[in-house]
Amino acid sequence: MKNTLAIFAAAALLSGAQAEDKIVIKGSDTLGAKMVPQLAEAYKEAGNAATFEIAAEGSSVAFTSLLAGASDIGMSSRDIKKEETEEFTAKGLKIKEWVGGYDMIGIIVNAKNGLADITLKQIEGIFTGEIKDWSEVGGEAGPISVYTRNTSSGTYKSFQEMAMDKRDYGADTQKMAGNEQIAEEVAKNANGIGYVGLAYASKEGVKAISVDGVELKPENKSTYPIARTLFYYTVEGKTSPAAEKFLTWATTDDKAVEVVERVGFISFK
Amino acid sequence: MSETPTSADSFSGRDAFKRRGFRILGIGLQDVIRYFFGGNASLAIVLIILICFFLGREGIMFFPAHHEGLGSYRQAGQEFVDYMGEEIDAHTKFYSAANIAYFAEVNESSAIEDAQIATARAVLANVETITRKSWNLLERKIEEEVGLAKKVAGLAEGSPEIPEVQQMLETRRSEIEKLRVTLRAEVEAALESPDAWSTGGSDRGVGLTNIEKIREAVLFEAFPKAKEEHPFLLELKAASKTKKADTAARLIAFKTTLTEIQSAVKPLRTLHGELRKHATENRAVINSFKSAPQRRAALLAGAENVDDPAEKAKLQAEADEVVITEPDLVAMNAPLYAAVSKYAEVSLPLKAEMERLLQALPSTVSTESARENLDRSRSAYGSFKGVQKANRDRIPSWRHDLPVSWIKSFSAFLFGKQWITNSSWHDFYGLLPLLTGSLMISVIALIVAVPFSIAAAIYVNQLAPRREQEIVKPAIEFIGAIPSVVLGFFGILVLGEMLREVSQVEWLSWVPGFPMAERLTILNAGLLLAFMAVPTIFTLTEDALENVPSAFAENSFAMGASRLQTVFRVVLPTAASGLIAAVLLGFGRIIGETMVVLLVAGNKIKIPDFSEGFGVVTQPTHTMTGIIAQELGEVDGGSLHWRALFIVGMVLFVIALLVNYAAQQALKRFQKV
Repeated sequence: MKNTLAIFAAAALLSGAQAEDKIVIKGSDTLGAKMVPQLAEAYKEAGNAATFEIAAEGSSVAFTSLLAGASDIGMSSRDIKKEETEEFTAKGLKIKEWVGGYDMIGIIVNAKNGLADITLKQIEGIFTGEIKDWSEVGGEAGPISVYTRNTSSGTYKSFQEMAMDKRDYGADTQKMAGNEQIAEEVAKNANGIGYVGLAYASKEGVKAISVDGVELKPENKSTYPIARTLFYYTVEGKTSPAAEKFLTWATTDDKAVEVVERVGFISFK
Repeated sequence: MSETPTSADSFSGRDAFKRRGFRILGIGLQDVIRYFFGGNASLAIVLIILICFFLGREGIMFFPAHHEGLGSYRQAGQEFVDYMGEEIDAHTKFYSAANIAYFAEVNESSAIEDAQIATARAVLANVETITRKSWNLLERKIEEEVGLAKKVAGLAEGSPEIPEVQQMLETRRSEIEKLRVTLRAEVEAALESPDAWSTGGSDRGVGLTNIEKIREAVLFEAFPKAKEEHPFLLELKAASKTKKADTAARLIAFKTTLTEIQSAVKPLRTLHGELRKHATENRAVINSFKSAPQRRAALLAGAENVDDPAEKAKLQAEADEVVITEPDLVAMNAPLYAAVSKYAEVSLPLKAEMERLLQALPSTVSTESARENLDRSRSAYGSFKGVQKANRDRIPSWRHDLPVSWIKSFSAFLFGKQWITNSSWHDFYGLLPLLTGSLMISVIALIVAVPFSIAAAIYVNQLAPRREQEIVKPAIEFIGAIPSVVLGFFGILVLGEMLREVSQVEWLSWVPGFPMAERLTILNAGLLLAFMAVPTIFTLTEDALENVPSAFAENSFAMGASRLQTVFRVVLPTAASGLIAAVLLGFGRIIGETMVVLLVAGNKIKIPDFSEGFGVVTQPTHTMTGIIAQELGEVDGGSLHWRALFIVGMVLFVIALLVNYAAQQALKRFQKV
């Protein structure tokens, strides 16, 4: 009995100690699925004591949870909206932006699809539902199945701005929960097309096609038409020293560069 | 035990047990227990009232906000612009179908070559998938080799490390050599396996000619990874290209017509594009006016919260800058009104031109697919004409200051065909696509589940020996214990994949909707929900049958009826209302299910295309429960979108309430028997 009690006491103490250095990060699925967890691992390996809680639910969550004080760091694959900034201002808070890296959004099709190149105009047509058949863009005949992210995703919005002239997605698009699910469905559907972050474009069964003749490669980041910045957000003056230290590391250190590139993004350097 | 009963009249339930002396304020232990149970029962009622109140309070505010949103949509002139947009969309549908028909004709000429190329590509992709592990290993080793070679080059001459690194480099190189040999063998082996040759129907049956050459070409391209294509494939591609060019030359008139159709709409497109930009700006002005008081309050609240005087003054100044003057809607919409005459200028020639071009489309085509698409194109032309006709009336008579009627705002929600959120233009909240999705899935689930579960219930209750009853009943009831998220995974990975594989089978292609492209469909979700509804319907049906007084059956037997006659003529009709209640409650179970439909239904917010007949079930759809689960997490509390989700929840709640009420009415009738 005494032993059990002692174990409980020790566990309570340990969790108490951990709670001090715990960094809560919430937001974008693009950042939160691979990049940030691996950065966290590398950070710990580099000899820093910290524990992480990472939740990837979509960029909008980054701001709602920061505002509610439910997280230390927000991850976002788009920059903060004006209305969101206002909400912070209303509470007397100021938001700080960090650049964590860059991402290119790859257009993926099934590996068996013969198409190798697509124009931005055609992408707009396909995702708004004007173009319905592969033969219209120079492929073999077949109705196009379009897979997109769901509305909470930063990619959903930034893709709309970068590739669709801000027009609405067609009613025929299917809204998937994440990059992984899009790649999964496109890999299984010979007529599928979808967009995913650079890191997911080399999944089994899919292939990334070049846009306006520019291939999806990190070295093309300045010419590739669908590229964007990945952000971290914090609240000024309210960030714990541990979170501050982690972010400084994650946006400057060479090890962090290595991790960001390993998971398929383009580093901040 | 001093108060043992002594006479028969004191042996009532109350006095059978010793009454305890424990009482506070006249309330004894028994009373406490009674109140506790009674309290629990009434807690349920209190909770239901609370939920109604909560849903009502949050949801009902949707209608004023939605109404206001539609007002802004009109005031900004977006409604006006969308009239033209509709015309362009209808035109695009017409053009697109004709265009597909054209390509069907062109592609038909080189079908054999293309099918062979497609087969080669599919087989190549399959082979690469099969041998992927080894490829990855080889690539990693090559990377290491390059790294080591760099290291050797970077080391100073005579460094003690050189021999060691050199040694490692040698090992890598020999490993790579070995890997290449095994990989070659693996690729060859993979080419022999039937997996490599499963092309998912992309070859349309004709691709399997020249199989030996295709095998050779694939082997050539698969290993070592070739930079250039195999001569056979190049030859095929060249042949395909020439044939296509020949056909295109023959179909030059068709192509010209298509180009003319495209360019006929250009003036309207240009006009629409300009106006759209303008209306977007208008909407931004209106929105910023509407949110101005809130923004000002936010800045002032912020000023109060900061301590630094400089910062405070800055926020105060910003707050003062927020203008709360009403935008001049007449001036803002002036360009739109000016566009009315411009619209007439572009619309009339468009009408005449399109009539001419419709006649210019070829009347005879050689392929089935081209014929179908031309028919589709002609019917799309009909709806294009309809939109044009409507526009001739509504565009000149459009007014930005007409108030939006409440009926319109209700019907825009209840019968709206679009659910578009997080839009840069205007958010549309139309329930219809979600409602049809939910109902379609439920109907399929019921069609599958009802016969199955009622038959099972009849068998278990009336016909099965007791032994069998004891096994079957708990087994069916156990289905209800399977977590729905597990079923969802099963639906994606097993059922969806299986359905699609089956649909690819050649001799099943007469089934409507086959072969299916998607894994996540109405059918898939319906089947899974049917499975989930079985325990509900089964148990309730079984109860209903059990409740039929045994005298009925005994009388029937006494009259000489057989067991089956008794079941179908006596027991079932008596239990009929119980059966109806069972089906209704099963429906309630299905329509409220969330996890499975979210994962499996495919999340396409569109009213299914019923022109496909029964094939409609192979389309993806979205549901009312699914949309709430998918979107509620990200919306701001109190926003229109948030309230829209609540009102969808309310619709679900009302449906569930009605279904339950109907079920209870049915049961009441049953109890009277």
